[in-house]
Amino acid sequence: MNPRLRELEQELRKFPASVVDEFRRAAEVAQVHLPDTDLLSWAQQGVDMAHQTARAWEAASAYFRSSPQVLGHLSPSQLLEWGRCGSSLCGDSPALAVAFFQDSPAMAPHVQPHLMAKWANLGRAFYRGTWKSCALATKFFEVSSGLLGQMRYEEVEEFAGLARALSQKSFDLATESLLQGQQVLPKLGGHRLPFLKLVTSLVDTSWREVKECFDVVPKVLAKVHTQHRDRLFSLATLLAPHAKGSISLFLSETATALGKADAASQGLLLAMAEQLVPIGPEAAGPFLLNSPAILGRISLQQLPQWFQTGVSLLQERQEGGLAYFRLESATSEQVLESLSSAVELDRVKEIMRLYCRALAGAQTDIAPTTELVSKNIGWVSERRATTEGTTVYLPPQVERYGSKEANFALLKVLATHQAAHIEFGSFGFSLEAPARRFRDLRFQREQQMRTQAGKRSETRPPDGDSPGLGATVPPNGQDGISGAPTPMGRFFDLFDNRRLALDIFTAVEDGRLDYQVQQAYLGLAPAYRRIQQDALVARPPLEGLPAQQAMVEFLVRLSLQQAKDLQHPEPFRREARAVARVARRVFHPQAMVEDSAEATLRIYDIIATLPNTPVEEEESGKEEERDGAPSDEQLDQWLQQFLGSRAGASAAQEGHPYESPPPVEYRGDFKPELAQLLSLLRQQQEQQRQQGPETARQVSPESLQQVLANTAELELDAEAGQLNHDLAAFAQNLMRETGATSASVQGQGQGPFLHMQEPQGGALEAKEPLCFVYNEWDFRAVDYKPRWCVVREKAMAEGEAQFFADTLRSYSTLTQQIRRQFEMLMPEAFRKIKHLPDGEEFDLDAVVEAINDKWCGVSPSEKLYWRRNKVARDVAVVFLMDMSASTAEAIDESRRRSDDWAPPDDPVEYMNWLRSRRGQGINRNHKRIIDLEKESTVLLIQALETIGDTYGIYGFSGYGRENVEFYVIKDIEESFSERIKRRIDKITPLHATRMGPAIRHATFKLARQDARTKLLLLISDGRPQDRGYSREGVEKEYAVHDTKMALTEARHQNITPFCLTVDRAGHDYLKTMCQDMGYEVLGDIHALPTRLPTLYRKLTF
Amino acid sequence: MTTPKGTRSLYREFLIEEYVVEQEPFYVPVADEVGLFEAAYAQKIPVLLKGPTGCGKTRFIEYMAWRLGRPLTTVRPKEKGPSAPQNGRGVPLVTVACHEDLTASDLVGRYLLEGEETRWIDGPLTRAVKVGAICYLDEIVEARKDTTVLIHPLTDHRRFLPIEKRGHILQAADGFLLCISYNPGYQSAMKDLKHSTRQRFVSIEFNYPNRDVEAQVVQHESGVSPAIAETLARLGEKVRNLKDHGLQEGASTRLLIYAGKLISQGITPRRACQIAIVWAVTDDHEVQRSLEEVVASIFE
Repeated sequence: MNPRLRELEQELRKFPASVVDEFRRAAEVAQVHLPDTDLLSWAQQGVDMAHQTARAWEAASAYFRSSPQVLGHLSPSQLLEWGRCGSSLCGDSPALAVAFFQDSPAMAPHVQPHLMAKWANLGRAFYRGTWKSCALATKFFEVSSGLLGQMRYEEVEEFAGLARALSQKSFDLATESLLQGQQVLPKLGGHRLPFLKLVTSLVDTSWREVKECFDVVPKVLAKVHTQHRDRLFSLATLLAPHAKGSISLFLSETATALGKADAASQGLLLAMAEQLVPIGPEAAGPFLLNSPAILGRISLQQLPQWFQTGVSLLQERQEGGLAYFRLESATSEQVLESLSSAVELDRVKEIMRLYCRALAGAQTDIAPTTELVSKNIGWVSERRATTEGTTVYLPPQVERYGSKEANFALLKVLATHQAAHIEFGSFGFSLEAPARRFRDLRFQREQQMRTQAGKRSETRPPDGDSPGLGATVPPNGQDGISGAPTPMGRFFDLFDNRRLALDIFTAVEDGRLDYQVQQAYLGLAPAYRRIQQDALVARPPLEGLPAQQAMVEFLVRLSLQQAKDLQHPEPFRREARAVARVARRVFHPQAMVEDSAEATLRIYDIIATLPNTPVEEEESGKEEERDGAPSDEQLDQWLQQFLGSRAGASAAQEGHPYESPPPVEYRGDFKPELAQLLSLLRQQQEQQRQQGPETARQVSPESLQQVLANTAELELDAEAGQLNHDLAAFAQNLMRETGATSASVQGQGQGPFLHMQEPQGGALEAKEPLCFVYNEWDFRAVDYKPRWCVVREKAMAEGEAQFFADTLRSYSTLTQQIRRQFEMLMPEAFRKIKHLPDGEEFDLDAVVEAINDKWCGVSPSEKLYWRRNKVARDVAVVFLMDMSASTAEAIDESRRRSDDWAPPDDPVEYMNWLRSRRGQGINRNHKRIIDLEKESTVLLIQALETIGDTYGIYGFSGYGRENVEFYVIKDIEESFSERIKRRIDKITPLHATRMGPAIRHATFKLARQDARTKLLLLISDGRPQDRGYSREGVEKEYAVHDTKMALTEARHQNITPFCLTVDRAGHDYLKTMCQDMGYEVLGDIHALPTRLPTLYRKLTF
Repeated sequence: MTTPKGTRSLYREFLIEEYVVEQEPFYVPVADEVGLFEAAYAQKIPVLLKGPTGCGKTRFIEYMAWRLGRPLTTVRPKEKGPSAPQNGRGVPLVTVACHEDLTASDLVGRYLLEGEETRWIDGPLTRAVKVGAICYLDEIVEARKDTTVLIHPLTDHRRFLPIEKRGHILQAADGFLLCISYNPGYQSAMKDLKHSTRQRFVSIEFNYPNRDVEAQVVQHESGVSPAIAETLARLGEKVRNLKDHGLQEGASTRLLIYAGKLISQGITPRRACQIAIVWAVTDDHEVQRSLEEVVASIFE
């Protein structure tokens, strides 16, 4: 060893032994690689380093330890340079240097040597003299040394910049982001720089989000196509300043949304979003977010058109454009609707409802299939239309064809076919009713089987049955024959293979309906045939099907009215002909559902005896229609012979188990047994209601379950445990479906208040009875938010009638006065008016006078007639009372300005706030505003009854847009009774004041009235307000403008609105709300009972 | 009303009481209404015809007036009035359409000015009472209540009509019978018939005929082919399904006949049904649309 080296080693002995050890080990390697001079400089550098500060020996130790590993990658001068970097770091903090040296070996192979120094500086930049910054720097060296192997140096530099900037805000976050980067960045590949730029841009404004952005990366990677990731990140960067701390949410949601589109569409969507950035950056997010919904309705080609409309709207007015892209504007809906070729049931529901009613009778209703499926009573397909005998269920959306017309035609065909089930009596099947086209065999067959079953229970012969018209016996004979509660069930009990029988029956019955429909509805027939053709094309090939299935398939095709070129399985030419012959008898105007059943019996006999093995021959023959119309007797004789002739071929049990052919799409689901079961249960329920619970015979849940287990109409997964569970659930749901309907009709007024989850936005649906959906006006967007509020109409609970009487007593003078005033109005209506130029009859006095005048040579008056005053009162009026919590305020208290309090946005807080407000007035004996409202109502009713006007009294309150409560105190069509007196008693302060929807609903009620004068009187105690009844939670004007719009709408319907408020501060907003409509601010609330009737009198004359 | 024969297009003017249904009106009895009416007429019991608009109430009355007249020609009294019915066929039929401004004097009579003097002229009811006609007050509930009270003395055993303005009381001629019609469906409670009034009549209820009869009627009246008549009747049935569910009143047989007439004039069935049925029964666009879909389904 070089003596100089030895000296240096001696020098190192001052330090802990490990330093010397490291030195020795390193020197051995270094000697080999380094020339002497460099070797000495290298060693000297280490020793100098160790001397620098108290703990600098640690750095030196690390220096020596790492040297051998980096040697190979650095030239001697670079090695020294490296050492110098380290020792200068050591000047700052030995720990820093240690980290630097320790992590160098990991990165040395991957970077150009000259970057070493830069890297050291990157690390050093983290150091700000504190131990935290030191720890961070250390972490950086550790992380980046690994990363450098996988990413370019510039990227690491960017990353370092990010971490450093973050460290200004929080060391913990910076450390964490380093760790996250270590995980995430390698996977990002080429998209690192855009991503890092995005994240860096966040540091200044919303640094807390950095972590979430890192979290979201894997999702982006999974959902967004490689070529679009950069764009997404740069887009996010552009949006970051506008996103107000939700950029990670944006990334996440957008990734989900984009994930639903293919690569090309992603590109288009992103390009569009980029276009939005300069015009209205806030719109880009919602646009991308809603893109799956939009593309669900219109095609990619149509998208630009919709988009352009939005862009021009956005350029015109930010809010309008925003609402457009949020899909919260009526314009947006309209444009979508006009572009879309899909027909949505929602939009044509009313038309289809009336259409089906016209076809199938007034009891028929219509609903989306989703509703039926959600009931879980046996129907599972949301795509296929169906009916259970009273309601026609149609798919929520039809978009098979390219044009709206074609899709609507399809929907019409779907509806017509389902309505035909009702119109042509599919569910009216009875075993006893005679068939018109066949000799009846059903009943006889059932008798036969019953006796057989009787015998069998004694002897139990094996399950081999003679073919022919004598049918087979179901395996569990007794249950099957006597157990089924419905005729349909009893009918299917006649068959061994219920599924086969159901398939045959379905094909024949659907075929019959198709025939009937095309006979009865000539106008629809072309469209119907076209759709039949389409269905025919979609049928699976006959080749290769087992014989039974092939025959059923043949039957299905036959039922699709394929008269020519009908393929049939060749080896069974004769059988096919027989099937066709039977089936065609059903396609006749006279045929009934019983004929379908008879045909099923016969066809089943033919098919069930075929071996269910694949048909060998490749080619299938053609079946030609050639027979005339044989009589019933002839047909049956012929069949008898036919079946007898092939008695040898009874190999029924061979081959594959039978499987159903795919359903014919447009015919939907046909479940005759379930439908009959449902109507039976309903009937029983009805009986029970009328005659008390004891008298009616009930189907027990167990027997119901048994029936369900037997029927072939349920598509169940055949796992045994699951099966039983499902059946029990079905049975229960069925019971509930038929039983609970009556109990739930009477919606109770002020029941327990259900806290509803606030929907995220978007249109609402009226799912329950007595719910109504209304638009809401967004004055910033200058457009309606479509289907925004749900108004729930409830009958007011009934209290004591005493209140009514008490009020009349305490206001007895006033009552008298009012009554007199109103009675005085009455005669005016019927007064005889004399001296008219035209009228009902001569006024003889005037005539005599005129004749006298004439005799006297005076020109006589022409006004010789009299007429009754035809201006009869014809007034309908609706009183709409504010039942908001604020009406609980005692009147005498110094009234706070209602503007002082704004409702908190958080639902829970909001409820507390409401409760406290309501509570404020309750414990006092003072009169509350609501009390005066109630008293005024009483007096008004008194007056109105005198004068005989049509009137309705309603209260409104609510909580949020999905829950606007509309209480009926007296419905406009209801006549005055004790019940109404009792309801008035129950008027109490409730929740908030969302006036718009309440006014719209009142308008809706008034508009149906046939009166010359219609008046809407709104009585409130303050400005409209509700949770979310504002724009972004702040602008009170939003509510005012919506209310104003609702009032304007009322005016368009020829209704005169009038607002009466007891809020003294009312002038400021009523001026806006009622601009050119009538309003009055009542200075003294006590004047309300006096004022209201007077006001009413003035308004209606 | 029966149309004038041949190509004559001149109008014909009758005195109210002289109008007699000369040709047999086409009427297909649905049940025993003909026998019932004959019995009531013989016993002089006033008759109330109930039923929806356009189901054939007026046609029934015309038919009965014609039918009752035939065997009775010689029996008819000729005691009063300048122009008692000639020995033509049918009982004279006086039809008054009631409306809300119909006053007592519209029915009974009024003074008219003539020169320097007033002259009394009889109203339609008075004339009918005098000649012994069937007086048919159509849509009686539309009339004002004071008017309906006027007919009370005519409808019981007294069978007289007081004419207050002249100070007369008119005893009804033998053949006189008061018939009123009433559509219980769409009147508001305000306009319901008072019990004191309605209990003076026997009621015959009418409804739209069943599909076969209606098809027969439509075919006869409009001259369309049996197939189209049948289809129109079927359409009528469908539209009536919507009564109270969007429609206040179903399509009347009369409307079906109108549609048929248009069709036989060469208008396409869909268009004819649109203007004669769909637009006639409702103004609501959505309901119109639904009905048009039904029409489009039924007619090619």
